[in-house]
This record gives sequence, structure tokens and C-alpha cells, in this order.
Amino acid sequence: MTYDTVADEYAREIQPENKIINKMALMQKILPCFHISSLYRTSMFPLLTVRHFTNFNASLQQEDDQPAQNLSNPYQKEKRCCILCKYDVNVDYKNARLLSQFLSPFTGKVYERNITGLCKSKQKIVESEIIKAQNAGYLAIMLKKVEYFKDPKLCDPDRPVRPHRY
Amino acid sequence: MPSYELSLMLRVLSKPELVSSLKRSAETIVQQGGVLRQFISIGTKPLPFKIRAHTQWHREGTYFLMKFDAPSSAVEHLNDEFKRDIDLIRTHVVKCEEPVKQECTLEEELKSPAYRKDVQQLVEESRKTVRKQFKQNSPGFDYYPFQK
Repeated sequence: MTYDTVADEYAREIQPENKIINKMALMQKILPCFHISSLYRTSMFPLLTVRHFTNFNASLQQEDDQPAQNLSNPYQKEKRCCILCKYDVNVDYKNARLLSQFLSPFTGKVYERNITGLCKSKQKIVESEIIKAQNAGYLAIMLKKVEYFKDPKLCDPDRPVRPHRY
Repeated sequence: MPSYELSLMLRVLSKPELVSSLKRSAETIVQQGGVLRQFISIGTKPLPFKIRAHTQWHREGTYFLMKFDAPSSAVEHLNDEFKRDIDLIRTHVVKCEEPVKQECTLEEELKSPAYRKDVQQLVEESRKTVRKQFKQNSPGFDYYPFQK
């Protein structure tokens, strides 16, 4: 529908006597009502926010079929956490019993990270606190106290976290 | 002033003697410009190993804990004073610091080497080619060439 035809029809209907039609004057009256932007005004369709104005029904069906995004991986494994981080244990040099749990009952030596299963930072803290305790006279140096043998095992030396040669 | 923790190990003494020796050590802290905050007794326990202090071997000791604030320059003087005290077997001054809260990095460390970040960094560093820097051969000899 072009503007010319609209103007002509309007001229014919309303002003049949005046055959001399002032098209420009008519256009000025018609244009405000029949502007092309009126076709794209969303206020006419308040509920639907559709981009394509040609086929409304078809576009709705397409959106329903799209796979849902931003879904978490259901097969993702749980993040492993070292025992001290998990329970937020404060490792202190005065707590000789806790530190003894990371010593070997046979040699009295400190277990390595692959056996204790601690993260790098915690292992470092434990090692430094053991040295502090030994210097301050809280922890024995080359042995583990017999009273501490029955303590719950935090790490199993026979089943280390990572395989090792020893 | 930073806060410190002093773990004292005193030899087995009678109560009045123990009190006087503790008072002495507390006074040294105050003399150096420190402020005592807490005084905790851990008790008389057998020592983990026999310790020799001032020509005597000790197998039992009384443990005490003193928390205080002192200037950082005072710690050296304190250690010096405690060394000379006959009643003290071992002393250990530690700075009280709040532990830094970090997330556990165990998961990252247990990955196979190809997927570990630190290993990947090493690989990248090795790939970097070091530009050979021109070494100027001056002086060319290890003696002074010009006669005086």
C-alpha cells in the first residue's frame, strides 16, 4: 500500500467535487496517522516481545525447543579438600599431639605430602610448626610418644594419595 | 607494637621460687617496653627429651605461656636476658600472626602434570628463547697491561 494510492482513495472518497486534489495537503493529514513506525510499536503488543514481526507463532515454538543454557555439569566430581582445610584446624606448635599424627610411629620422621594428603600450604605450616615445637621442647625429635600411637589416623602410609617409590 | 608469645620452660621449683622466677621474667619484658597481656600455665610435665641447661640435666619441667606486646627491637634483648636465667630451661618467642585464609589447592595439585598450572608455567618458560647478550671482552687479560 503506497502513500500515493491512499491519498488518491482518500481524495476520491472525501472530496469528490474538488477534482483538483492537493496531494501534499492530504499527505500531511494522513502521514501522522499512517506512519510506518506504527507497525513496529511494541505498545500495541504489550505481552509479546518478539523480534520478527512476520510470523509470530513460528518464533514462539523455536524458543521453546532451544536447549537450556547455564546448566551445571551433573557429572562434575566434588572438589577434594585436605583434612586440615576441611575442618579449619588451627595448627599450633603447642599442640604436640596433633602434630604427632603426621609423624611416623616407626622412625619419628615427618610424613611427606603424598602420604599426609595435605595441600602445599598446610604441609608447609605443619612442618614449620613441628620444628618450632621441637625447639621449644613440646615435641620429641626422633620418636613418636607411645601414648599417641592409638590416636586416629589422619593418613595411611600404606596407601598414599599419589604413588611413590618408598 | 606487634604481639608476641613466649613459651617458658622452667625447672622444677618450689612454689615461692617459681613465683619469683616468673616475676623476674615478666619484669624483663616490662623493662624492655613490653605490655603483658596473658599468663597461662600449662603445668608440670615430663620433658620429651632430656635437656641440659646451666650444667644440669632436666627430665621434668614447668610450662608457662606469656602473651605480650613489645617493640620488635626488644626481642633480641629478651632472648639475651633469658639465656642468663638459671631457672629457665628453654624459651621460645613467637610472633602472633593471624593465619592467612586460603582455599585448599589440593584438587589442583592432584591433577596429572600436564594439567597442573605450575608445570605448564615451567613448560612456557623453557619455550622462551634467551637472547644471547654480547659479552664485552674487557679486560682481555687478568693482569694490568700498562707498565707504571
